[in-house]
Amino acid sequence: MRVATTRRLRLPRGEGAGAWLSAGSVALSLLALLALLGLLAMRGLGHFWPSPVALVVLDDGRQLAGERVREVPLAHGEGLERLYRTGNRDLDGARWDWVRVSAIDAVSHPAELVVLERRRWGEAIGRLAAVEDDAGQRIEGEAAWAALEARLAELTSLRRARDTLRKEVILPRVGVFEVEGRLDPDFASANARLRELQAAMEGGRLILDTAEGETLVVPLEQLLSARRPNAMSPLDKLTAWGSGVWRFLSEGPRAANTAGGVWPAIFGTVLMVMLMSILVMPFGVLAAIYLNEVAHQGRMTRLVRIAVRNLAGVPSIVYGVFGLGVFVYGVGGRMDEWFFDETLPSPTFGTGGLLWASLTLALLTLPVVIVATEEGLARIPDQQREGALALGATRLEMLSRVVLPMAAPAMLTGMILAVARAAGEVAPLMLVGVAKLAPQVPVDADFPFLHLERKFMHLGYHIFDAAFHGGDVQAAMPLVYATALLLVLVILVLNLTAIFLRHHLSTRHGALTRR
Amino acid sequence: MPDSSPPTAVRRRLRQGRDRLATALITAGGIGVIAALLAIGVFLVVEVLPLFWPAGSTQAVSPEALWLPGEAADDGTRYRWAPTATLMSDEAPRISLVPLAWGTLEAAAWALLMALPLALGAAAHSSLFMSRPLRNRLKPTLELMEALPGVVVGFVAGLVLAPWVERHLAEVFTFLVLLVPGLLLAGGIRSGLPPRWQQAVPLGWAGLWLMPWLVLLLVAANWLAPWLEAVGFGGDLRRWLELRLGLDIAVRNAMIVGMAMGFAVMPTVYALAEDALSGVPRSLVEGAQALGATRWQTLWRVLLPAASPGIFSAVMIGAGRAVGETMIVLMASGNTALMTLNPLDGLRSMAATIAIELPEAGPGSVHYQLLLLAALLLFVFTFLVNTLAELVRTRLRRRYQRLGGGS
Repeated sequence: MRVATTRRLRLPRGEGAGAWLSAGSVALSLLALLALLGLLAMRGLGHFWPSPVALVVLDDGRQLAGERVREVPLAHGEGLERLYRTGNRDLDGARWDWVRVSAIDAVSHPAELVVLERRRWGEAIGRLAAVEDDAGQRIEGEAAWAALEARLAELTSLRRARDTLRKEVILPRVGVFEVEGRLDPDFASANARLRELQAAMEGGRLILDTAEGETLVVPLEQLLSARRPNAMSPLDKLTAWGSGVWRFLSEGPRAANTAGGVWPAIFGTVLMVMLMSILVMPFGVLAAIYLNEVAHQGRMTRLVRIAVRNLAGVPSIVYGVFGLGVFVYGVGGRMDEWFFDETLPSPTFGTGGLLWASLTLALLTLPVVIVATEEGLARIPDQQREGALALGATRLEMLSRVVLPMAAPAMLTGMILAVARAAGEVAPLMLVGVAKLAPQVPVDADFPFLHLERKFMHLGYHIFDAAFHGGDVQAAMPLVYATALLLVLVILVLNLTAIFLRHHLSTRHGALTRR
Repeated sequence: MPDSSPPTAVRRRLRQGRDRLATALITAGGIGVIAALLAIGVFLVVEVLPLFWPAGSTQAVSPEALWLPGEAADDGTRYRWAPTATLMSDEAPRISLVPLAWGTLEAAAWALLMALPLALGAAAHSSLFMSRPLRNRLKPTLELMEALPGVVVGFVAGLVLAPWVERHLAEVFTFLVLLVPGLLLAGGIRSGLPPRWQQAVPLGWAGLWLMPWLVLLLVAANWLAPWLEAVGFGGDLRRWLELRLGLDIAVRNAMIVGMAMGFAVMPTVYALAEDALSGVPRSLVEGAQALGATRWQTLWRVLLPAASPGIFSAVMIGAGRAVGETMIVLMASGNTALMTLNPLDGLRSMAATIAIELPEAGPGSVHYQLLLLAALLLFVFTFLVNTLAELVRTRLRRRYQRLGGGS
């Protein structure tokens, strides 16, 4: 009887059901991770690839031109619906067009369709009818495209000249004027030159026939770029893709964060994380040395160690609350009363800012650094310390010459993990100083160059804001994908470095374990 | 001692003085840093105290108002969180923390429901069946998954997954139904294969080659869903759920939060559970297998009893993370303070409420103090849970040393 039950418990071969279900959970987790990363990579990078513009003729005779975005089944199985991005928001008030697939008569991709990027109103799509200058001279046909391209190149170089002039000549002199009350003689000439450049940019317009049969007049000075995606060769598209990626990384946001780039957010994130590392490293290492090398290893130290470990598991929003209550309202409010009396009631340090955000994140990542450094210190065998002391070194010399150099890779690992954690953390920043749109970068040419009280932009918050508070979420989506991809890449690279370092470390010190 | 300049008394005293100074500085700095960290709890308590024992003439908030049912409102709910209602109407502000606590725990429960089978299954598989090279790769991969920022996971959950699930509700349910039989079918098919083919798909690498199989299952679910809907649910699952079961369906709901947060919590639980399982002394496992147990039997009869405290602490730490996660809940839950058991309806957690409302609440006001109270609750809860887990783990480590004997 007993034999029979044991026999029945075991399947004839294989490992039974559990093995496959548990393998399935590994596969499902990996699949979810892969799907997430793949989605971000595809949508994030795909956005910059010039997609073809379709000219759609509907069965009621209406025409529209736009980039196909996606297709969705209608409710109750009534076929499919397709979304086109048609642009021309200034003409019909909408940038998107939902079209029933069954109502489409013909779709073609004529080469002459032009996609214009403008400073206001977003994209414009249509056929280029003519380019006019102020004198009324009109260029039509194929020559118009060449004229447009030439003028665009000219505009770009003019804009660049204007920006350098403004940044390098005019703004510093305005700063001097505000402080000393005297105006540099160059200022007038520079100003005149600026006005000259501005005037050279104006004039001329472009006439676009939209697919709906309307005419759109665009002042050339409003144009950012123009392209004919259907006429582009793969190489042209690759170039356009590259420049699109570059502009995304190097420009500021436009149109309420739904277009343009994320440069200020990259800058803000990096600056905040750097300040945080500068703040967290000395204190974290100090605390770890105290806990591991100086403090008496008793029950109390063990409790403190457990407490510090647990603080790493406390929700980040709690740190944000602490930062708001203590740093912003407490210390910042007091500082405003003492030093910035004249600007009250508008707060200087009594509101969220770069300094408070970095301090809060430093506190948040302190347990990470302490734990990592302690692990490194514990891995160093006691013989090393005893040897140093036996040779007559004081404790300070033993620590600084023997122990700390050996623990350096562990500290580095701790710092990288802290940076990776801080770069992805958004919730506490929402309380202590991140801004939806910060016109001024916290670093500039004005004394004291680094403005710790200013608000800053952050990649993670940019994602949240553009995806949930923007007016046209649909338009912001591709940029949100790209920003998310950028953030994930940064964090992945940082973590991979930490993992590599740790691996390197464990192989190097493998023979030297204390326990 | 061949020293060119023998240490004079002055130099020695200088060195010792410097050493003493440095030790004092390290001690002071270390204690200071640790005190600053621990000050978080003290700060929250100090700020929250005036809520219950006010200094001036302001009315104290009674614990009953926070936790017990109030008068029923227009819509019949007796627990409501509306701390700023006075600005709009003459109604008194409703400050019941119950819906927020409910939302927090509901989100955490759904997250754990999603994460635990995945994490524990993966831990069991990687400690028992998985080939060593794959296991060495899997660990860092899941560590990377853990490091993915909440804001990215929340964005994908709230703006991509939620609308997709809303349109493909039937497909998702069909996939969940198909998942277990599908995986067993994969195992069955494999054991039916000729031995040479079996070697091409070894059990040790099943975590990888089952991925295309899962995609296949997804396609099958997509194909079967309309049929299932037509047969079982009158052609439309959504309408059936709304009419028959009376469920409200929100785009961003507790199930989406559970999926996203389960994704975020899973690697944490996996890492700790895998540590606990692989920490069990090898001699026990080998002994059980020498006596004729299959690997799965070894897991149930030997590994799990030995490692159960470690697994318990892994689950606790996962719960702590799920309770405090802010951005995912904020972006994927719809933030409606409802108290239902319906997984397809929205919720609002404490952490998300703090993130939304604290910047607008004036410092020192009752609203501000209430939000700080919520933060204090989060702090205390996660701190206790983590301490418990840590204590259990320390005890477990000692037990392993005893069990392992000399090895």
